[in-house]
Amino acid sequence: MTITRSPAADVAPVPERGRLLSWLTTTDHKRIGILYLINSFSFFVIAGVFALLMRTELARPGTQIFAPHAYEELFTLHGTLMIFLVIFPLLAGFGNYFVPLQIGALDMAFPRINALSFWLLPVGGLTILSGFLVPGGAAACGWTCYAPLSEQLGTGGDLWIVGLILVGTASILGGINFIVTILRMRAPGMTVMRMPVFTWSILATSLLVTLAAPVLTAGLIMVFADRQLGTVFFDPSRGGVAILWQHVFWFFGHPEVYMLILGAWGIVTEIVAVFSGKPIFSYPGVVLSFLLITALSFSVWAHHMFATGAVELPFFSITTELISIPTGVLFFIWLGTMWRGKLRFEPPMLFALGFIAMFLIGGIDGVWAASPAMDFAIHDTYWVVAHLHYVLFGGTLFGVMAAMFYWFPKMTGRFLSRRLGIWQFWLQLAGFNLTFFPMHILGLRGMPRRIADYPPDLGWSFLNLVASIGAFVIATAMLLFFINIFLTLRKPRTAPDDPWGGNTLEWATTSPPPAHNFDALPPIRSDRPVFDLRTQGSGGDR
Amino acid sequence: MLAFALTGCAKEGISPTGQDVHQLYNVIMVLALPVFIGVEGALIWCVVRYRKRDDSVPSQTVGGNRALAVFFAIPAVIVAALFPFGEATLMKIEQEPTPLVKINVEGFQWEWTFLYLNEGIFVSGKTASDTAPQQPAQMYLPVDEAVQVTLTSRDVIHSFFVPDLLFKRDAIPGRTTTFTFTPTQLGTFHAQCAEFCGLWHPRMTFDVHVVSPPDYQAWILQERKAAASVTCQPNGSTLAVVAHNISWQDPQGNGVYCLAVPENTPFTVSITNEDAGIEHNFSIYDSFFQQQTFFKAPKITGPASETEQIQGLPPGRYYFQCDVHGPAMSGAFIVGNPGEGHGPGQGPGEGQG
Repeated sequence: MTITRSPAADVAPVPERGRLLSWLTTTDHKRIGILYLINSFSFFVIAGVFALLMRTELARPGTQIFAPHAYEELFTLHGTLMIFLVIFPLLAGFGNYFVPLQIGALDMAFPRINALSFWLLPVGGLTILSGFLVPGGAAACGWTCYAPLSEQLGTGGDLWIVGLILVGTASILGGINFIVTILRMRAPGMTVMRMPVFTWSILATSLLVTLAAPVLTAGLIMVFADRQLGTVFFDPSRGGVAILWQHVFWFFGHPEVYMLILGAWGIVTEIVAVFSGKPIFSYPGVVLSFLLITALSFSVWAHHMFATGAVELPFFSITTELISIPTGVLFFIWLGTMWRGKLRFEPPMLFALGFIAMFLIGGIDGVWAASPAMDFAIHDTYWVVAHLHYVLFGGTLFGVMAAMFYWFPKMTGRFLSRRLGIWQFWLQLAGFNLTFFPMHILGLRGMPRRIADYPPDLGWSFLNLVASIGAFVIATAMLLFFINIFLTLRKPRTAPDDPWGGNTLEWATTSPPPAHNFDALPPIRSDRPVFDLRTQGSGGDR
Repeated sequence: MLAFALTGCAKEGISPTGQDVHQLYNVIMVLALPVFIGVEGALIWCVVRYRKRDDSVPSQTVGGNRALAVFFAIPAVIVAALFPFGEATLMKIEQEPTPLVKINVEGFQWEWTFLYLNEGIFVSGKTASDTAPQQPAQMYLPVDEAVQVTLTSRDVIHSFFVPDLLFKRDAIPGRTTTFTFTPTQLGTFHAQCAEFCGLWHPRMTFDVHVVSPPDYQAWILQERKAAASVTCQPNGSTLAVVAHNISWQDPQGNGVYCLAVPENTPFTVSITNEDAGIEHNFSIYDSFFQQQTFFKAPKITGPASETEQIQGLPPGRYYFQCDVHGPAMSGAFIVGNPGEGHGPGQGPGEGQG
């Protein structure tokens, strides 16, 4: 699907094949950003269909449509794709498009590495998916793929490992590229404490990626070596240590959770400020929270391992509870930004409000799991499934939708339909809660995750049916979203440069921006240069 | 909504420690509910009260350091209030009263084995076969007595999860962990593996029966009798066993729970492993406590077969098993006339069949 023609194409029309080739070979951060979004939403559809198939199977007790093995492939790839090929690359895609614009740069610091780190993603994703074609099927071990179960997998397991190594390499390259871009490419006047909070969130994410992703990559290579080269890291029957994998995986895996949410926090903070007509209530507070969370996220990994009986419980419990403090500060700042503002309920703001309301639940229900005694009861049950979806779907995906409606006019020059957007928002909110809220109760009633089947006499059946119905409501909302994009791309370009009354530099250029991003930059004297320009220096003097 | 939907849903617990965890659940709810109502309420207030109604520019105020300090202080106070409750509950759970019942629990793909150390019996789940449905392992416990579980796994990571105890612990190969609990409520409770462990993970269930002490004693006696009553007569000095669906069969496909050979006579065992990709072996011990090893064949990965020559044994009652799967694949090994003589071990060969 084509999103837009570049301004260069307007000047010098080129034949169809040349246009395709120009997209395949582009090093323009904006085009790469759009490629990220197309790629991510494609995998989103695949992984979303997997989720629908799982919910269909779980709607009633007994096995209806899938043998256990097929179901196990589905939940493994649903988790793997959503985390590594959908949520993270969506945020990286927005980062690619908007970080250079927001800091007044021409492009990323390393445009060709940028293209490489994008193209590794579809290759890695397809490598993982190709497991369905080999004997024994795709990896069936959950997205965490605990050892020594990982040693029992067939070729699909090797494809899963190799695919993830490619994706991990891509994100390390991308992380380094972002860090250098943000530290070295800022326009004159764009001091670090004037950078937009979204750029800050991408900087924090990139620090996490460059520190944590190499650990995962190394761990994956160790699993591969165990399976194929005869090394013994994780298999106790040959003298390895099973639990070592969990330490390696979660040392990456918990910072990973913040890689998946920081970008959305940045997006939502900016959107709330713009649509409240006010500056961010405490810009330094946001930056401080981001940095504290980045640092603390490296000290909480073993809270995923309380039930192993092999970790120091009070230490990981207190660090986990401490990380809720800077997270709580963000809520206060969002509320403080709206307080006495003038709120406009355009679709970006609706999704941002939905984000705050839902992510709050995902933050609170995590507190139960942070207390080891309580975690013994709810670990690996549907409570955790509810919790992680309130964070990643109720949180990040609502943030991504806010960003799509917010930045679509900038990327394409066209407004996504407001009407369809409002319908999508309410359907998504209702479907999401219908699907995931009952899972808290299922978890409390003892339903473990990752089971294709459950007995009918344990009081789980009705809530599972409700959750399955909710999943199809979510699917309807997503269908509206894709219809909206399809219809909008056929309409003329009507979006002005600054349709929402924005604060940050991307609103100081045309919609869509020219290949070189800016004809002229406004003076940068605060974290809201475009606001300053609009109000002729009558405010925002910080 | 959150509160009313959730408070009634947490299990009450069938042990004092489970009830402590339930209490902790409520404490967290009491701390979380004001946060939930406060933030969602403020959000709704903003949406209703500060909707844009005219084109005037709102005051461009921002918060200072004092506001920020308050923002940090509020969640810090909540965490400071919450953390001690969690730790106090944890200390209660980790107390280890002197146990009356000691059980070694082993998980394997995809069943559980419970070895009652003081009583000298074991029970094991049976994987579903072509002809018989799965029979999950049954754990009987006397009410009001402390039970100590020593947990490990024979292959991949499993998790011993009894929802009504509000407790789980991972069964990790190469590690043992121990925990103690005291069930105080009679009844039968569903339990199952909580860590994804491969193909039949959803079927890796077991039942916990909390019964009165007399019923418990009766169950122990019944299991002992059942085990002792397993017997068979030697029929030549050639044995053939087939490992199929993680259980022992004879070449005709009938379950094998007892093998017999003449005393002090060398014999051969031909072992066929029909489970593709799964390792089995054949070993002979004094009893399932495995204090003495009389024979141990190497592990073979199916499909494969091999034949072993074994030297003659003195008469008595022995025990055989597959070392990969343990008591779940085991039986009585009778040497000579079972009515006479004493074997090296008094442990029964086979529990619940």
